[in-house]
Amino acid sequence: MTLVRAEGVAKRFGRRTALAPLDFELAAGETVALVGPNGAGKSTLISLLARATRPSAGRVEWAEGIRVGWAPQRAAQYARLTARENLELFARLEQVPAAAAEALLERFELPSDRLSGELSVGNQQRLNIAIALLGRPDVLLLDEPTASLDPEQRRRLWETVGDTAVLFATQRLDEAERRADRVIALRDGEVVAA
Amino acid sequence: MRAILRKDLLLLRRSPLLLGLLLAYPLLVALLISVVVGYANTKPRVALVDRDGLPATVELAGEKFDVRELIERVSSEVDLVEMAPDEAERQLETGRVVAAVVVPRGFVSDLRASRSPELVLERGTGGLTPIVTREMEALVFNLNRELQDAIVATNLGYVEPLRERLDRTSELLGELPAGPGVEEIRGFVTVAGLALAQTETALRATASPIRLRLAPERGRTWALSAQVQAYGLALAITFLGLVLAAGALAAERDENVIGRLARGLVTLGRLVWAKAALAAVVALALGLALAVVFGVAVEVGDVAGGEPWARLPLLAAGLALAGGSVGALGALVGALAREGRTASLVAVLVVLPILLVGLVPPEVSPAAGYVSDAFPFAHAVDFFLASLYETEPWRHVAEQAAWLAALGLAYGGAARVAARRLLA
Repeated sequence: MTLVRAEGVAKRFGRRTALAPLDFELAAGETVALVGPNGAGKSTLISLLARATRPSAGRVEWAEGIRVGWAPQRAAQYARLTARENLELFARLEQVPAAAAEALLERFELPSDRLSGELSVGNQQRLNIAIALLGRPDVLLLDEPTASLDPEQRRRLWETVGDTAVLFATQRLDEAERRADRVIALRDGEVVAA
Repeated sequence: MRAILRKDLLLLRRSPLLLGLLLAYPLLVALLISVVVGYANTKPRVALVDRDGLPATVELAGEKFDVRELIERVSSEVDLVEMAPDEAERQLETGRVVAAVVVPRGFVSDLRASRSPELVLERGTGGLTPIVTREMEALVFNLNRELQDAIVATNLGYVEPLRERLDRTSELLGELPAGPGVEEIRGFVTVAGLALAQTETALRATASPIRLRLAPERGRTWALSAQVQAYGLALAITFLGLVLAAGALAAERDENVIGRLARGLVTLGRLVWAKAALAAVVALALGLALAVVFGVAVEVGDVAGGEPWARLPLLAAGLALAGGSVGALGALVGALAREGRTASLVAVLVVLPILLVGLVPPEVSPAAGYVSDAFPFAHAVDFFLASLYETEPWRHVAEQAAWLAALGLAYGGAARVAARRLLA
């Protein structure tokens, strides 16, 4: 079953093409890795699929009723709220019980009462991923989720993800090969291998 | 939307310095503008050019006048500065003086000869010219009145000996034997006495048919006036609401959260209205605090007039509505600026002209009135004035509420469209 489909989706910033038109599908239970150097278009594709950015062309469709979790490369959370307050706020917005926030706080071993802006980069990234997981998503879109995590934290992240469909961006080829069912290579906004 | 509003209020509470500045700065601006407006009432500077060489005193109808002292005394509403003709001309051209009163050659000789001498008023082209012209007309009127009073007094001095003689004649007639001739003379003396008795009243009435009697001053002082309160409230919430909403919306992008929210958690429209609601809540809190302080000052000062307490609920509704309307404008600024610091700077740059143009009375500049109509500030002022001071405020309040709601919806709609830029 296809959960997310992109048809001819493209993004331009002024005259610069960040992503040339491409088609993409993600099926239930599938894990797909996006690899490529900086500026290849990985983050752009993920934010387009997350509907956090409007495409310049093409369209993105989600299967009806599915829930999508998105963790951008740069943490998307309020720096002057604590980790707990961030999770509780997004739990309210996702319309899930506050207990879900508490459970993620414990699972990711986050310092609950420190302002998120004062957390280490690794903890900020874990909070970022925890927020993405709040709504019990059917699809996870993760932009370089393990870049700031130590090996133990990486292992626990993938355990937490379980069999949820995942599209993740990474610059680590070993991680892509180990975790992904498919690997898509991007360069200068175009698919160079799939 | 409530979750975002609660989050914004929590963030605001966590930034006491920012909150303090946001509260104190508009109050400081309101105070400074009040001081400037107060200075606008200071006397205009007018040159006095004496081309006739006024003597120390001029004798008219037996009365001695110090004409220069008289001119200065009756020109209390302008700052009259004596200067040479060329200096006065230069200062008039450069705007250092707004007008020059010239005493032309022959003034005193015409005055002595009762030939109605002229004072010449040379005027600049500045905005104060009509006011100065009225002040100078008042000056000439007052001069004439002072001279008339003196001349009337002198003329009455001529009448007094006649009345004394008539009284003595009447006494002498009483000592003479009665006869038709004596009766006729007595009749004449009686009529002449009555006529002379009316002379003083008639002369004074001719000099001043209508007199202005100044009643003792009463009512609120300038600092506690209705205008100061209404402008102070509107200025404070306009500044606060615009800067706050602009910064808060742009901050969603700065925090990189806008994409996460707009993915389906909070629509861009609700996000915009959440910022307008934030401005409304803060405007309500600040406005009510200011209104209470003002009401206490009015009570302590035992000042009559206005409805400081009974109309608080109506004022509260106006504060929230005006705050929301201003907040919608702020959200538009925030969406267009996209970035927090830019949004705050642009908001400050936008708010100052809105406030200043709103302070210009429409009677002075209709164009300023039309421009003000397009922004919530002037309508907020009118709403607050009506709600606090008018006996029957409802029609006026309803009109201004409709303006504020319409402007809020228009700016909010525009902000919703512009907010797409935040996702680019």
